Amino acid sequence: MADHNDPNAVNSIFSDIDHSPADLYDLFGFPSSDTSGGEKVVIALTFASVPDANVLDSDLLYRILIAAHPRVKWPSQKEFTLDALAGYFDAVKSKYLGELKTAEIRVTIDPAQRATVKFIGFPCGSFSTVVEIGKALTIQTPDGHSIQTFIGGRDDAFFNDLTGFFRSINYAPQFYHVPHTMTEARELPIPKTLLELEGNDLFNYDPNNPLLGRGVKKDLPPGPWTWKGDKFKKDANGNFRFVYSGEDAQAGKNVNAIILEIPLAFITSSSTANRVVNTWGESWVRKAAHKVEAIPDHPVWLEHPWALLDAIHLDEELQKYKLVDTDGQPFADAALSEREDNRQLGANNFWLGPHFVRRLAHLGWGFGPSISALGLATSFDHDNSQVSIHRTYSSVVEAFPRVRKTLFQGLRMPDDSWNPRGLDIPLRRPFEIFIPNVCAIDMDTTGTWPYGRRLEDQVATRFLAMFLDMEATFNGRKYHIELLNDQSLWDHAPIVPKTPPNPLRNDVPFLDHFPYLAEPHRQ
Amino acid sequence: MSQPTDYQIELERTAKDICELKARVRAQPGDPEPVTKLAYRLYHRASLTASFPDYQAAEAAIDADIQHFGPKEDLCLLKATVDSHFHRVSAARRDLGMAPALCTRPEGRAMLADLDLQEGRYENVRTSYESLIRENRTWDNLARLAHFKGRTGDVEEADRLYVEAEDELTAKEMRSYAWVELQRGVLRLARGRHEEALAHYARAEAAYTGHWLTDEHVAEGLAAQERFDEAVKLYESVIERAPKPELKQTLGELLVFIGRQDRAESWFEQALAGYLESAERGDVHYYHHLTDFYADIRENGPEALKWARMDLELRENHATLAALAWALFRDGQLDAAQDAVNRALSSGVCDSTLFSQAAIIERETGRISDSVRHLQMAEEVNPHFRGFHVHR
Repeated sequence: MADHNDPNAVNSIFSDIDHSPADLYDLFGFPSSDTSGGEKVVIALTFASVPDANVLDSDLLYRILIAAHPRVKWPSQKEFTLDALAGYFDAVKSKYLGELKTAEIRVTIDPAQRATVKFIGFPCGSFSTVVEIGKALTIQTPDGHSIQTFIGGRDDAFFNDLTGFFRSINYAPQFYHVPHTMTEARELPIPKTLLELEGNDLFNYDPNNPLLGRGVKKDLPPGPWTWKGDKFKKDANGNFRFVYSGEDAQAGKNVNAIILEIPLAFITSSSTANRVVNTWGESWVRKAAHKVEAIPDHPVWLEHPWALLDAIHLDEELQKYKLVDTDGQPFADAALSEREDNRQLGANNFWLGPHFVRRLAHLGWGFGPSISALGLATSFDHDNSQVSIHRTYSSVVEAFPRVRKTLFQGLRMPDDSWNPRGLDIPLRRPFEIFIPNVCAIDMDTTGTWPYGRRLEDQVATRFLAMFLDMEATFNGRKYHIELLNDQSLWDHAPIVPKTPPNPLRNDVPFLDHFPYLAEPHRQ
Repeated sequence: MSQPTDYQIELERTAKDICELKARVRAQPGDPEPVTKLAYRLYHRASLTASFPDYQAAEAAIDADIQHFGPKEDLCLLKATVDSHFHRVSAARRDLGMAPALCTRPEGRAMLADLDLQEGRYENVRTSYESLIRENRTWDNLARLAHFKGRTGDVEEADRLYVEAEDELTAKEMRSYAWVELQRGVLRLARGRHEEALAHYARAEAAYTGHWLTDEHVAEGLAAQERFDEAVKLYESVIERAPKPELKQTLGELLVFIGRQDRAESWFEQALAGYLESAERGDVHYYHHLTDFYADIRENGPEALKWARMDLELRENHATLAALAWALFRDGQLDAAQDAVNRALSSGVCDSTLFSQAAIIERETGRISDSVRHLQMAEEVNPHFRGFHVHR
């Protein structure tokens, strides 16, 4: 879910914290189907529409960072060991701290609601321009490229049963009044699960209070907030109760967005070699001290459509802001950072590599047994547990054997449409998807997740598919990342409601042309 | 028509929030969320206006909520905050104790350290603040430690910490930024660096316009610079917006300082009436002011001593000990005054007023060398300590 409602310091899930324009929601990235004049990549960063859709906050600075490089294959002779994984994390670290040159697009808004867009560190150099909010327009670059740009309000392109996800991880602030101070009362120490647990009264669906967690919150009863049961809940017909409903929690909601369609040749001078465009977003908020100074934008930026920035020290600008949020991969927060402020590291999340292994093992003990109970095969080794278990790890060495397969298995795609030219592109593996926390857009694919992220991708359900054993078969076909989106699977499963976990499509259709995200809703 | 100030905008927004939340509470009386939010917003309004009825409204809401929903942590923390603000230290500790886990949380630990500060347990205060900062360098804890360092004489470190606190604050927290700027100004004013203090106050005003609290500080700065007419005018304007008795006393003292006793007395009478009205209600937070008032304005030793002892019973710290010493001095109990001021000095607090009062008491008790030394120390801390200043 990228950052939707993630309760870091800018989050809106806690009653004592207001919505913030620094709350990044999603980062989409995919190759454009429009190849006239050369390949282009579409990147869309979405965030809370505060103060309003099409009205942006002039104290915020948004960055979209971009680094193109060749596709790297995991050496086939490499063993799937903890040492090999540690070696990978080290290699990523060296790459991001050393050789990789990152370009960026920086957006600030002035009080008159004009956006200054700065392109920094691209092969042609750096330049900036000023654009209007809420309009699709073209920016001409010094080296003759055209960049399609839209900054303003759109429909929230994310479609997801957010409440279901929070129910699956027993996330109390979605259902209960939890003061921000009570950090121990967030993910409660109850097994994570896809199927309701017998006696899990805190989180099981209550037909007498169907809106609980969907806007309605109750008073959190006194602890201990644990679960003492030993089985999944079943109804009189022997059906499990799904924690998901398939309903779209984001239907009818707006975001503000920065959407760009950029020629690949503008991003890299070696577009034949650098086939993967890594991108991630950041939000920064102006420091109080610099608001007092009220330094006006450099006049050259306002007076010229674009101007070279060679003489201007851009880092000085960034020093006036404070990093608040980052966004690369959907579910990176759930998988890695547990939505903590101090883990908003963006691409630099290689520091969290060991934590990733432990966290994935923790999630696996919840989701793995749920998957098994449905008669599906899981990639997580849970010793054939008959029910989800709440288990945490302090040791990576102890956790690793449990998640070896989950981490290293290639995530099979449902068909070949993702690889239109039939190139030798390896299946992506979870460890390389989440570390670094970037959206890695493979320009030789359609950019569907995990080869980027297309608007129509149901990434929340694809994230759950990581816990499926991709070597197993269903109806004669090997498992794939879309399996849990297959209605026929749920029709035959002993579960109610018989629905894929999350909605299959957005509440409003996407556009077939730039800026692709639908018009904002009237509110 | 002039633009509304930041203070007016915030006050208006708070009033609107309160109205909306009251409507939500009426619609969903069993939902703790709007109820808790309402209590917080009421407290927020009170902290903006410093109006006693606003505080009363906030306290009534908090108490009713705790009675209805039980001792929720956020409500107990808020109740402790109000009690601490009004010097009800034991009550604040009881509030925290109602939700025992609160004392283990950063917010609860910071509050406990604040209470330790009121009770003069300075070593505890320092280690608690430092430990909280090691865990998470939040602006408020940095400011807490800065205040402590400033009190104990490490002005450079205090200012460094205030600067660090400011660096943590964003454009969405301009009132807090302005508050930190005021503290940086106070730090300088207490060292006689009037120009620099006023520069910080001006920055506070630029950051968050129209707050009476900033103007109150500016008025003191102007008086310290002997710009008396401007200072008097500004104090009058501040009192119009925030008619607090201690501000009325300050204006009276300023008028006496510039030889306008004729205008001072009515302010003193109003101040005293406000203090006594508060004390009659059972409130304790003006005990310190009553001590000061009777010792310095009325030079009434026995009455000053009465209030000083009552305050000391609640909070024994360098300020209440110094106030007791000064009251004893006014009452002619020189040896007891000497004993009390020695205890205040042993706290390690570095304050020109404390040093100068100690020097006077020592002179009267025949400790001439100590008296000279403390007078020198007062001058070292603030070369202008004989000028107009407010006891903060």
